[in-house]
Amino acid sequence: MDKQLFNYHGSKTHMLVVGILTVAQAITIIFQAIFLSEAIVKMYNGTAWSAVLPSFYCFIAAYVLRHLIQWAKERLAYRFADKTSLYVQQLLVRKLFELGPRRIGKHGSGNMITLCLEGIPNFRTYLELFIPRFIATVCIPIVVLIYVLTVDITSAIILAIVMPILIVFLVLLGLLAQKQIDAQWDTYQLLSRHFVDSLRGLVTLKYLGQSKAHQSAIATVSNKYRIATNRTLRMAFLSTFSLDFFSSLSVAIVAVELGLRLINGDIGFEAALAILILAPEYFLPVRDLGNDYHATMDGKEAGEKIRELLEMETFASEDSEISVPKWNEESTLTVQQLAKSSDDEERLLLKNISFQVNGFKKVGIVGASGAGKSTLIDLLSGFSYPTGGEIEIDETEIPYFSLKDWQEQVTYIPQHPYIFAGTVAENISWYEPNSPSEKIEEAAEMTGLMELIKSFPNGLDERIGQGGRSLSGGEEQRIALARGLLQVRPIMLVDEPTAHLDIETEHEIKSLMLPLLENKLVFFATHRLHWMRDMDVILVLENGQIVEQGTHAELYQQKGVYYRLIKAQRGESAE
Amino acid sequence: MNLFRTYIAPYLKQYKWLMGFTIFLGILTALTASMLTFTSGYLITRASEMPETILLLYIPIVGVRTFGISRAVTRYLERLTGHNAVLKILSDMRVKLYGILEPQALFIRSRFQTGDLLGTLADDIEHLQDAYIRTIFPTIIALFLFMYSISVLALFDWVFALWMAFCLSIIVFVYPLLSLFSLKKRQIEQKEKRSRLYQTFTDALFGLSDWIISGKKERFIKRFASESQESHSIDKRIAFWNQARTFQLQVLSGIILIIVGVWAGSAAQAGEIMPTYIAAFTLVTLPILEGMLPLSHAIERIPVYQESLQRIEHIRQFVPEKKVLAEKGEFSHHPEILFKDVSYRYEGENKDALRHVSLSIPHGQKIALLGKSGAGKSTLLQLLLGAISPTTGTVHFHGQHPESYDEDIYKYVGVLNQKPYLFATTVENNIRLGNKEAKAEEVAEVIKQVKLDHYIHSLPKGIHTQMEETGQRFSGGERQRIALARILLKNTPIVVLDEPTVGLDPQTEADLLETMFTTLKDKTVILITHHLIGIEKMDQILFLDKGQVAMSGTHKQLMETSARYRQLYLLDRGEE
Repeated sequence: MDKQLFNYHGSKTHMLVVGILTVAQAITIIFQAIFLSEAIVKMYNGTAWSAVLPSFYCFIAAYVLRHLIQWAKERLAYRFADKTSLYVQQLLVRKLFELGPRRIGKHGSGNMITLCLEGIPNFRTYLELFIPRFIATVCIPIVVLIYVLTVDITSAIILAIVMPILIVFLVLLGLLAQKQIDAQWDTYQLLSRHFVDSLRGLVTLKYLGQSKAHQSAIATVSNKYRIATNRTLRMAFLSTFSLDFFSSLSVAIVAVELGLRLINGDIGFEAALAILILAPEYFLPVRDLGNDYHATMDGKEAGEKIRELLEMETFASEDSEISVPKWNEESTLTVQQLAKSSDDEERLLLKNISFQVNGFKKVGIVGASGAGKSTLIDLLSGFSYPTGGEIEIDETEIPYFSLKDWQEQVTYIPQHPYIFAGTVAENISWYEPNSPSEKIEEAAEMTGLMELIKSFPNGLDERIGQGGRSLSGGEEQRIALARGLLQVRPIMLVDEPTAHLDIETEHEIKSLMLPLLENKLVFFATHRLHWMRDMDVILVLENGQIVEQGTHAELYQQKGVYYRLIKAQRGESAE
Repeated sequence: MNLFRTYIAPYLKQYKWLMGFTIFLGILTALTASMLTFTSGYLITRASEMPETILLLYIPIVGVRTFGISRAVTRYLERLTGHNAVLKILSDMRVKLYGILEPQALFIRSRFQTGDLLGTLADDIEHLQDAYIRTIFPTIIALFLFMYSISVLALFDWVFALWMAFCLSIIVFVYPLLSLFSLKKRQIEQKEKRSRLYQTFTDALFGLSDWIISGKKERFIKRFASESQESHSIDKRIAFWNQARTFQLQVLSGIILIIVGVWAGSAAQAGEIMPTYIAAFTLVTLPILEGMLPLSHAIERIPVYQESLQRIEHIRQFVPEKKVLAEKGEFSHHPEILFKDVSYRYEGENKDALRHVSLSIPHGQKIALLGKSGAGKSTLLQLLLGAISPTTGTVHFHGQHPESYDEDIYKYVGVLNQKPYLFATTVENNIRLGNKEAKAEEVAEVIKQVKLDHYIHSLPKGIHTQMEETGQRFSGGERQRIALARILLKNTPIVVLDEPTVGLDPQTEADLLETMFTTLKDKTVILITHHLIGIEKMDQILFLDKGQVAMSGTHKQLMETSARYRQLYLLDRGEE
């Protein structure tokens, strides 16, 4: 049994309550069998049916009570599962915020969404089904067995022997099936993904002139997949088979053995009938557990994945109360020996990063891919934490930039600004939700969005983002700029805003953007070196270190790393 | 119902033997389970009468043993044949869905702008197996058990059989239909809540940096918590509803058992049945009912399948009618492309996507196509490929309409799209998609041409290395090179490069373009591009703006005559 199950809030009480109810239920099951056999025997003996009714009433009372307890157990189990899974989901969401965009990106945002929105219901199902089923498997057979033991030892022995055999077979066959599945997991995955893969690559197939011919490949692979699945299912169903086989076989054995001893008069009719009725009940909990096993395993796995995530190291959020001075013309930021190692701590992504900036300077950050530009922007925005170094703002020392006071001063413009599902107006005023509509329109006007907005039937109230109209890269960037216009913050972090845009749009965005960079401290990371002429200082990164620092003119003269980057971009060799 | 006729009924017919066999085994399973109880009830009663010799008990004993063993066997076989039949259907459904999507491949993205439609469709097909395994099979089996038990009872006492038919109808008809209708509304509500939660959460994860920077984290967490709570409380209501239903059905079963018991007792007294059968009849009630109880659960799922099938049906409506080709285009190794005053307007739009475009591309020319998104670049490409026909004007491909080549057009035109899809198979298989008959030396040659030979040989499995899902093992530049190798192996006289360098850093971009121009030097190249790097090597440059040609000429001409071009060129080189 999963030890983690004991660690959830209130789980021990829950298990205790379910356990007590289960024992009570087992007792009603026994009474149900006793009264039913009594009724049958009375009728067999020719008693008038009105005289049999009291037995039937007792039977139905026990029977209804049994199912009432079952209903109560299920309801309690669901409540507990629901409460616990909601709580875990909350923890998970909080954790995701602490991990930040980069580390989530590494796990795949899609995976995280699936885990949080589909994994949690699976986890709930696991809690809901597994706990009561497991307790029933332990309690009910024991209580039933004790009763049978008091009535007929031989039957009790048969039942007691079969149970361990059944469980051994169940586990062995389960393991065997798992081994078989593991052995062909890769092929299996490949086959099962083939169809989605084909659909996603349909355009490419079309362009290659292979799309018609590929239809037969789909049929072939689907068929192979079917055969592989059948092979696995043959093994996988064996464990249920063994459950069915041993349980119904032992019911049969008990019946025959009871019959033989009835002939000899070793046992009474009524007692024999009660045991016959109880025999299937004895196996029922194990069969339930086995049948739901696969349904609950997804949830168990989801639970484990969530736990792994929750155990990942993040920084304590209490520090975020550290106060950071407001940035102004006179402020100075000093960074000394800043370093960042990769998550597995094997590589240094950034090292010896030292620089000082003051006032409203524009700082360009350039370098080849993988030189550490984005890592540096991530540190400055507080999306990730440095692994070494010192940071000082106007003589106030701060441990990292992930502080509320700092982030509230920052505007961040990424390469692909995210467009939220909502109206254009909502998206523009995302940071300042209470902006008056004139201000929103003004921002849209200044970023050249008005023409686009006028072409929408609903104007500013047109829905964009998921489930709405999709925007081009240039339009997304304009929305981000408009957002930046509405909230005036003294620091701006820009990460590669135009590399993916066509040259004309880039040109337009640049002319819109340059005025916005004024009177701010700007960190601007990009491949597109034309921006550097407008920067006050350029940090040139190579292999995670600052190798050159200066203005465009200085660095160009120097004919070093920066010069070579420019030449490469022009498709020229740097002699 | 219509959906049932289009997507389910044909397969039931096609695989009627497999289906029939599965249902037969399913019925057998239910019957053997009941017979085990029935015969053992009889056996015990008969034994209690202490017959003279055990031989009199021989038949029930054998019966009990047989049923005890065979139940597990038939159930196992039923599950296997059931799954096999359903997997066969799914396989056919996949082919069918592919057949629906293939003719409209180039329009799917623009036509259905919904997240991951293709993934959803693939999932829909997978979920359809439940329609058979969890709904159709159990329903037929339950209905059979219903008819069977009524008929058997009618042999003994038809009045009581009618009375039972009434009681059982509550389980077999009333509850399932009740579930179907009363749950439908809640299921819809549940789905709405879930998709809203999905949207909220997607917005949070992909817009995470905005949430963090804006300092609205706590607000989001609160909102998510309340939405999640809402969604969970609907789940809870449905779950509680189900639990209550199970309880009610169980109580009903208990009452039916008593009715059967009392009937059996009085029937025995009236001499209609032997008293030996009282236990058998009474006890068999529950196993029989067990086969009918799942019906409610089976029926309530129907709306889920309807939704999946509706999605497929919706897409099927867009399948274009097969064009009848008058004559096939002639083959030429040196096709020339001519656009004469071409305009195109998409259905339902009020503006031309392309307006009065004229263009001539002699064989071997290198032409660059630029323009903002929505300027008409993709429309131009689709016209060239004959995927759409001009509203006015003509497009000539080697003197004929491109449509007349149909799929053969791809023998002349190779397209390297922006995100060329690399399939989850080996590098070699991906390259061979260009030409399946290519010899090993030819494959090696193209790999060398795209300068991947050293890298690929350094991999432990060489060209047999798996791409992994969507090619994660290889970097952006390497993936483009593999796609280029594929196009080279295809060896078409015309190659379209659709923004092949988006997302690559300048160094990689320059290297890749260099390789492309070297390897494609004898071919006509149409380069759709967003940057001006390498533009000097082009024979013709064309800027589209809102469907019209805004600038055109050679690099030299444009530098001399267009101030705008000069400005863009200098910007791109970082000289401004």
